Amino acid sequence: MSEAASVARYIDPTIGTLEGEGAQQRALKPEEHVNREASRVWTELPEPSEDEPTYYNRPVLKESVWTWDIPAYYYLGGAAGAALTLGAATQLRPGHDLDQFVRHCHWVGIIGSTAGAGLLIHDLGRPSRFLNMMRVFRPTSPMNLGSWVLAWAAPTAITAGLWVRRGGALGYISESAGYASGAIGLTLATYTGVLVSNTAVPLYIEARRIMPVLFGASALASAAALLDMVHEGDAGCTITHIAGAVGRVGELVAGKALEAQVSRVPRVGRPLKEGVSGALWLSSKLLTVASLAVSFWPGKVKQKRRMAAGLATAGSLALRFAVHYAGKASARDPRATFELQRNRV
Amino acid sequence: MSTVPVDAKSDMRPQSVSIAPGPPDGKPGKKGFFTDTTLCIGCKACEVACKQWNQLPDDGFNFTGMSYDNTVALGASTWRHVAFIERPVPLSTQDAGAFSWLMSSDVCKHCARAGCLESCPTGAIVRTEFDSVYVQPDVCNGCGYCVMACPFGVIDRREEDGRAWKCTLCYDRLKENMTPACAKHCPTESIQFGDLDELQQRARERVTHLHDAGMSEAYLYGVDAANQPGTEGLNAFFLLLDKPEVYNLPPDPVVPTHHGADAWKSMAKAALGLAAVAIGAVLFTPRKGLHQ
Repeated sequence: MSEAASVARYIDPTIGTLEGEGAQQRALKPEEHVNREASRVWTELPEPSEDEPTYYNRPVLKESVWTWDIPAYYYLGGAAGAALTLGAATQLRPGHDLDQFVRHCHWVGIIGSTAGAGLLIHDLGRPSRFLNMMRVFRPTSPMNLGSWVLAWAAPTAITAGLWVRRGGALGYISESAGYASGAIGLTLATYTGVLVSNTAVPLYIEARRIMPVLFGASALASAAALLDMVHEGDAGCTITHIAGAVGRVGELVAGKALEAQVSRVPRVGRPLKEGVSGALWLSSKLLTVASLAVSFWPGKVKQKRRMAAGLATAGSLALRFAVHYAGKASARDPRATFELQRNRV
Repeated sequence: MSTVPVDAKSDMRPQSVSIAPGPPDGKPGKKGFFTDTTLCIGCKACEVACKQWNQLPDDGFNFTGMSYDNTVALGASTWRHVAFIERPVPLSTQDAGAFSWLMSSDVCKHCARAGCLESCPTGAIVRTEFDSVYVQPDVCNGCGYCVMACPFGVIDRREEDGRAWKCTLCYDRLKENMTPACAKHCPTESIQFGDLDELQQRARERVTHLHDAGMSEAYLYGVDAANQPGTEGLNAFFLLLDKPEVYNLPPDPVVPTHHGADAWKSMAKAALGLAAVAIGAVLFTPRKGLHQ
């Protein structure tokens, strides 16, 4: 057995065999721990047995181990999904005058979903095993279903662009792939809302009836903003203008509805009002309102579209990061879990 | 109770070796733990036995100030954790003043309906022939989703390792008809291992006995589906003397998929709305656009 396995186990590998269930668990030598956080020492008096006890205020749940990759993926995957949906919807229009717009939609879908998949793989504890996501088909796991959907997004969008305007079988394949990518896009833009809801985190549990709608609206706003940055000059701009406006208004309305849902138990709603997540949540709202104001400012303003698109992008990103950090804060707070469960009828 | 000791030389405690014969159909049947916290003396033999048998790395040697607790919580490399609660109230059977000390050895509950298992996208987490929940380390890709799905905060990803780990109910020992290391080493039989139905019966008798003896606060936590509908019962259940929160256990844990339908319905609405807005925007847009 390797010497590495004996690290932090105080077993001499020349004498003892390392074959236990946890023997392969990688560990660093004590001197290799650069940032091992020394645990906070509890210095308060033993907690009186009050009505609402906790165990030394320690979290009852484990905080998510996900890093910035995941909220960045919510944004990118959402934008990619909504862009593919817009592309497929535009394909419904007769004629070829918007082919350029459809192509731009497909590019946002291809780049967004591919980069998003890269972020997901980067966040894995064992990135080389990312294909294990496709080992099984498991309807109880939104992450499993999401992996299957994500895997099909770029291939269908690429196929859709290969033989545009060709007749015959190839043209038919491309056209069908375009519509398929739209259906996949719908799922990609909204499933992350289910992904977070399907956890033990109190804030996410309480938000479950609205989170997919919020994520869907945010995805639409993000996609329209990205298309506003790359596309110019034809009726496609009107499509993004309408979609973007609905997306941003939807983001604000769904956000408000979500706040109301999670605040039914005050402790559960707290991370949206306090701390890093609260600040991000507020800035998301302000940025989105600002973006709408710029969009609908009367008169011709130079670079108006780009400015609004930039603000909308920042707003959507802030929203995804707010949800991410609010979930972490919620899991850290034992009273959020306890109060939610005690209030359950 | 079947009492055929497999390892008669070393195991003198009959209830810990009831695993051997199993039901007649040849399947080993459901196994579990009954942790009776009234018997726990806080010796941490279970923690040590678990670490040693499973050859888990240390968690650092920290002083926490939380009574005699120095492992704080269950985690990737802490599969048994003894909680110490110092209360300014006596137990109902005590007359030694306003103080009582609760100790409880916490462990993965091996839920009848396990959030970690249901959420695992790779199929790394499986249900074994002993009805325990087991993470296959050669399959786990460290996505971390199970960490958020466990309503008890048990399973965790070890940073240096990248994979998720938790108690295996000593799967390797069970296959050899041996008792899990923690139960084997418990000197007071606070941790009892055996066939689940037998443990449930024994636990109910124990509660009746304690109530008769005047310890009216004793109750069972997660003994079966009726007791804890959200998880459909725990294969590792507990006898407690105070609110679950006192032991850092959730009062009404619910497996995430239990309310999953709400989220899927919301997603269906969101997807329909998104499609409608996209098609609507396209149809509403005149051929030349509005802004040119």
